[in-house]
Amino acid sequence: MADVTYSDLAGHDLPAEAHVTSTGISNEKLGMWVYLASDCLLFGGMISTYLIYKNRPGEIEGLAGNADKMSDHFDIPFTSMTSFILLMSSLTMVLAVNSIARKDLTRTRMWLVATAVLGSLFLGGQVYEFTEFVHAGLGFTTNVASSAFFALTGLHGVHVAVGVIMLLVTVALSFRRRIHPESVEVVGLYWHFVDIVWVLIFTIIYLIP
Amino acid sequence: MSTPMTDVVGTADPSEHSDDHTHGASDKQYFQVFWVLVVLTALEVSTYWWEDWFGESAHKVAVPLLIVLMLVKFFLVALFFMHLKFDNPMLRRIFWFGAIVAMAVYAGALTAMNFWQDSGTTRFNDPPPAHSSQIGGSDAEATPGAGSGTTESGG
Repeated sequence: MADVTYSDLAGHDLPAEAHVTSTGISNEKLGMWVYLASDCLLFGGMISTYLIYKNRPGEIEGLAGNADKMSDHFDIPFTSMTSFILLMSSLTMVLAVNSIARKDLTRTRMWLVATAVLGSLFLGGQVYEFTEFVHAGLGFTTNVASSAFFALTGLHGVHVAVGVIMLLVTVALSFRRRIHPESVEVVGLYWHFVDIVWVLIFTIIYLIP
Repeated sequence: MSTPMTDVVGTADPSEHSDDHTHGASDKQYFQVFWVLVVLTALEVSTYWWEDWFGESAHKVAVPLLIVLMLVKFFLVALFFMHLKFDNPMLRRIFWFGAIVAMAVYAGALTAMNFWQDSGTTRFNDPPPAHSSQIGGSDAEATPGAGSGTTESGG
């Protein structure tokens, strides 16, 4: 959608809002990719922190906490279900991107709303999971492992929540006839990144013993 | 695929644009990728019960398999859903560069913290258990096994 070079534009009478970049990639898309790259480093650091602390809860000299491990309280079947929901939302997101590229505004809205609903379901599942952990005596400050876990999965949850807001704003803008195909694509990039991070978290944090 | 950047949907007359503006895969291909992801996820989740089904040694197969499955899922989402396979090659280079640098940085950090030889002791710079027993240091006594939680809580 955004791969426009100078040679492509030769002889075209362009509207005032058109812009060309030397890379052939729009600034919005490139900006989103650079942001995602920085987010990779953030999540990489938090995943590493949890890995270092996970087997040492309450054992770090000078830090308060008990020896209860997060992994003893994981509900894998439940988390698998929420992971599947997030995976489904990635499918609905690409279908929205394809729909807007075909200028099918009705289906675009439908898939965007479906993605937002699935994202909200994932968030609801995460809230339920956190509540269960707290009931089991594992809060944010229980030990270093629980702090690292809640910080990591909580940050991911915040990303999902921001994604849901972006999706709903895009739907709202579509009713004002100001939606651009690339806007949907950029929101989609963000959404798939959130999914990709969960692919890593689900395997590394939840499934690998 | 080159398309004008000025097609703001909702202002243009759809009848004027009969060409397909998608620059990724078709809906059908996305569904195919999705079902592959579903099968891989189901296989991943099944490893949770492998120890019950196949015995304790199952984790020796499960852990490498989980890592491979995770990477396959990661690349499928990045290549197809994030359009890296179809998009400008520069984005692909940015992505691979960032991914490789991030992996190297965090592998280095985990190595520095003795993550790969986790002795389960309270200090990150403890030598691994075999080395501890050779030198007969006090660390050998403080090696209860990874995450056994036998040490006293810090309060």
